[in-house]
Amino acid sequence: MQIIQVAAEVAVQTSQVVGNLGVLGYGLAAIGPGIGVGLVVSKTIESIARQPELAARLQVTMWLGIAFTEALALIGLATPFIFAV
Amino acid sequence: MFDDLKSVMTRVLKLGSLLVVGITVLGSVIGFLVAGTSGLLAALAGGAAAFAFTALTVLSLLFGSKLNLGGFLGVVLGGWLVKVLLFLVLFRFLDRAEWLTLSARPVVFFVVVAAVIGGLVLDTIVVTKARIAPSA
Repeated sequence: MQIIQVAAEVAVQTSQVVGNLGVLGYGLAAIGPGIGVGLVVSKTIESIARQPELAARLQVTMWLGIAFTEALALIGLATPFIFAV
Repeated sequence: MFDDLKSVMTRVLKLGSLLVVGITVLGSVIGFLVAGTSGLLAALAGGAAAFAFTALTVLSLLFGSKLNLGGFLGVVLGGWLVKVLLFLVLFRFLDRAEWLTLSARPVVFFVVVAAVIGGLVLDTIVVTKARIAPSA
């Protein structure tokens, strides 16, 4: 019985999140845009490899894709100003 | 007749600066009414941050377009990484700033979001209207 109680206490202690939650917030704000920008860039490289003559046009389109994706990161980084007390 | 990458980016930079200045002025007035001088400073900080965030991408693209594809991607993506780190530090500094009162904190957020979304709309309009020639 005592062993079960000790095990339950250990489980509660180890399941607690310790530290600054802002770090988790940054991680979540960075992971989505990171994947998004990676996809945008990889597809642009593919497209330029297929049609090098369209490089200038594709670079501008890529920039628009990056701008939209990175806006997510900026908004994520700025959220502590409305959520934190 | 046709635009090149440089002329499109220069146009985005010019119009984007005007837009951010307009949003910052509006945000400063609202911030001052909501939270006094702290709200005014919060709007200025938010506007400056949003402008730097969008302008650095455009500048990295302008500089990177002079290099080959590898250099271009290195400058654009490396610039993005450095920029996010800079903003992490800047927002951490703002988060702990004593002059930023509790009621002024949302002003930073709303100015940043308004400037970024306004900037995206502007970028889309400029890119849609641009006529970029395929290179030979």
